[in-house]
Amino acid sequence: MSQVAVNPVNETVKEKKTLKSYLGKFAPLLALVLLCIGFAVLSDKFLTLDNITNIFRQSSINALLAVGMLLAILTAGIDLSVGSILALSIMVMGLVSVTWSMHPILGILSVLVVGAGFGFFNGILLTKLRLPHPFISTMGTQFIARGLALIVTAAAPIAGFPYMIQFLGSEFIGPMPVSFLLVIVVYVIMHIFLTRTQTGRYIYAIGGNPEAARLSGINVDRVLVIVYTISGLMAGLAGLVMVGRVNSAFPLAGLQYETDAIAAVIIGGASFMGGVGTVSGTLIGAMTIAVLRNGLNLLNVSADSQLAIIGMVIIGAVFVDVLRNRKKKK
Amino acid sequence: MIIQTMIIGGISMNKKVKLFGMAVALSSMVFAAGCGNSSKEASSSEASGEKGGESVAVVLKTLSSPYWKYVEAGAKAAGEELGVDVTVVGPSSEAEVIQQVNMLEDQVSQGPGAVVVSPTQPETVVPVLEKAAKDTPVLLIDSDADFEGKTTFIGTENYSAGQEGGKLLASMLKKGDKVVLIAGALGNPATDTRIKGAKEALEAAGMEVVAEQPADSDKAKAMSVMENILQNNKDVKGVFAANDDMAIGALRAVEAKGLKDVKVMGVDGTMEAVESILDGKLAASVAQSPYNMGYQGVENAVKAMNGEKIEERIDSGIDLITKENAKEQLDFLKSISK
Repeated sequence: MSQVAVNPVNETVKEKKTLKSYLGKFAPLLALVLLCIGFAVLSDKFLTLDNITNIFRQSSINALLAVGMLLAILTAGIDLSVGSILALSIMVMGLVSVTWSMHPILGILSVLVVGAGFGFFNGILLTKLRLPHPFISTMGTQFIARGLALIVTAAAPIAGFPYMIQFLGSEFIGPMPVSFLLVIVVYVIMHIFLTRTQTGRYIYAIGGNPEAARLSGINVDRVLVIVYTISGLMAGLAGLVMVGRVNSAFPLAGLQYETDAIAAVIIGGASFMGGVGTVSGTLIGAMTIAVLRNGLNLLNVSADSQLAIIGMVIIGAVFVDVLRNRKKKK
Repeated sequence: MIIQTMIIGGISMNKKVKLFGMAVALSSMVFAAGCGNSSKEASSSEASGEKGGESVAVVLKTLSSPYWKYVEAGAKAAGEELGVDVTVVGPSSEAEVIQQVNMLEDQVSQGPGAVVVSPTQPETVVPVLEKAAKDTPVLLIDSDADFEGKTTFIGTENYSAGQEGGKLLASMLKKGDKVVLIAGALGNPATDTRIKGAKEALEAAGMEVVAEQPADSDKAKAMSVMENILQNNKDVKGVFAANDDMAIGALRAVEAKGLKDVKVMGVDGTMEAVESILDGKLAASVAQSPYNMGYQGVENAVKAMNGEKIEERIDSGIDLITKENAKEQLDFLKSISK
C-alpha cells in the first residue's frame, strides 16, 4: 500500500527535476535568443550581414579569454591577470616582429610563448609558493605583467605588423571573420579536453571537492599549473587576434578585460564555487555580452548606461545560478 | 514595468517557470533601457527627416571628461544649426581603446552620411576607417590618424600652441630666468609637439631651460615631478606644462614650497585652469577650442556630404587666456557645459 503511494510521488519529483534542470540548462541560451529578437525588433540594422559579422568579430577576443577563465573558475579559482598578460604578450610580439623585424612566425610564437609562460608563472606562484588564493597571486601578476608591458617599449605603441600576424584578426573567409572560426576551433578543442580527457575530468573534480580530489590521488598542483598555463596561452592568442584587428599593439590593451571574461563565464552558467560550467555555456556568455554591447551601441545607449545594464545582467545571471543551487539542495 | 516583471518572476509564478521569468525579467530590463532611448532616437531622426535626413556619426575618445563634453556640445550645436541628425558616442573612459573601435564599427555599419572621429590610439582605427572612407567622408578631430581616403583633420596646431605659450611666458619673465618644461606621457605626439614649440620660443627669448620632464598629463604626477625639480633648482621663475592638469599640479608644488613669483602656465583652457587664472594663481593657459573642433567637425562633414571640397588640414585655433580675458572664457565654458 505504502509502496504504491510513494512511487507516483517519486515520479513527479523526477519529472519536475528534469524540467527544472532543462530550463536551468537553457536559460542562458534563451536569454541570448530573447535579446537578439528584442534588438532585431528595435533596430533594423541589427540583423544585417554587416552587423552580424561585427558581433562575431567583437566577441572573439573576449571569447578566447573567457574559455581560459572558465578553466580557472571550474577549479574554484580565478585569473585576474589575463588582460595584462594579453598586453605584455602583444608588446613582446611587436618588439620581435616590428622593432627587430624578425620573421612573423617568430612573432606569433613569441605572443603565445609569453602568454603561456606567464600563465605557467601564475600556476607556479599558486602551487609552489602556496599563496592562499589565485585571486591574490593573479592580482599581483596583473600588475607585474602590466608594468612589464609598459616597460617593454617605454609605453609607446607599436604599429605596422606583417600580414601573417594580422591574418587571424583581420581576414574573412566568405562573410565569416577568421577570428571567429578560430574561436570555434578553440572551443571544440576545449570541449573535448574538458569532457574526454583525464585532466579535463580532474579539473571538474578539483573544483567540486579539492580535498576529495587530493585523496583520490589526483596531482592537484599539476592540474592547476596546466589550467593557468592554458589561461595565459588563451590571453596570448586573444592578443594575437586583437593586434590583427587594429593593426597595432599598445601597452594599455586589455585593460579590465578580466571582468568581461569572468562575466561571460558566469552568464554562461558556470558556478563561482567551482566544478560546474560548460564550454558551450561560456560561448553563449561571451556572445551575450557582445550582443548586448553591439545592440546598445546601435540604439545609441550611452556607454555609462551600458555599464549599468551589463552589471544588472551579471547579477541576474548569478541569481539564476543561486536559484538553481537552492533547488538542488532541496 | 521592469519591477512588475521582476515581481511576477520572483513571487507569484510557480517554481517551474521561475527561471524563465528571470530570463524575461533580465531581457526586459535591457529592452526598457533600450526602448527609452530608441524612441528618442526615432523622434530625432523624424525631425531631421523633414530637413533632409542626413546624419553624422561622431565617435570621441570618451564622453566622461569636460574637454570631450565641449567637443560634444560643439558637434550637437552644429547639427542643430545645419539641420542634420548628429549622434555623439564614446566609451566610458579613454582607456577603453577597443570599445571605441567597436563603437566606430557599429556606427559605420548603420550607414551614416559622414563619420567624425577622434581616435584614442590613432593606429587602432585605421582598418575600420580605411574601409569606411571608400564610400563615406571620414573627418578626424583633435587627434589625427594616417590612412587612405581621409577627408580632413581638424585640430590644434600643437607646435604653434606651444610656441605662442612659450612667447607669452617669456614676456612675463626677464632674460636669463630659469624655466621648467613639464611634458605629457613619453611618445604622446600632441604634448611632445607643444613642448617642442614652447622650448624653442623660450630659448629664442633668452630663457634658460633647466629641466624637462614627463608627468603623463597627470596632476598628481606633475606635482611630484615639480617637487623634485625644485629640490635642485630653487630659483625657477617659470613653468610651461603641456596641459592644464599638469600646470595645476606643478602650481601646487610651487605653492607648497612657499614660492611666490613663479609663473606657471598650461595648455587646454579647462574650467579649473581658467578659474585658477581668474584667482591670480595660474599665470595663463593656451586654450584649445574643443567646442570649435566639434562644431567644425560636423560643419565640414556636412560640406563633404554635399560634395564640396575641403582643405586637408583645418586649424581649430587657439586662445591665449590670461587674467584679462579669463572671465569671458569662464562664462563661455559655463554656457556650453550645460
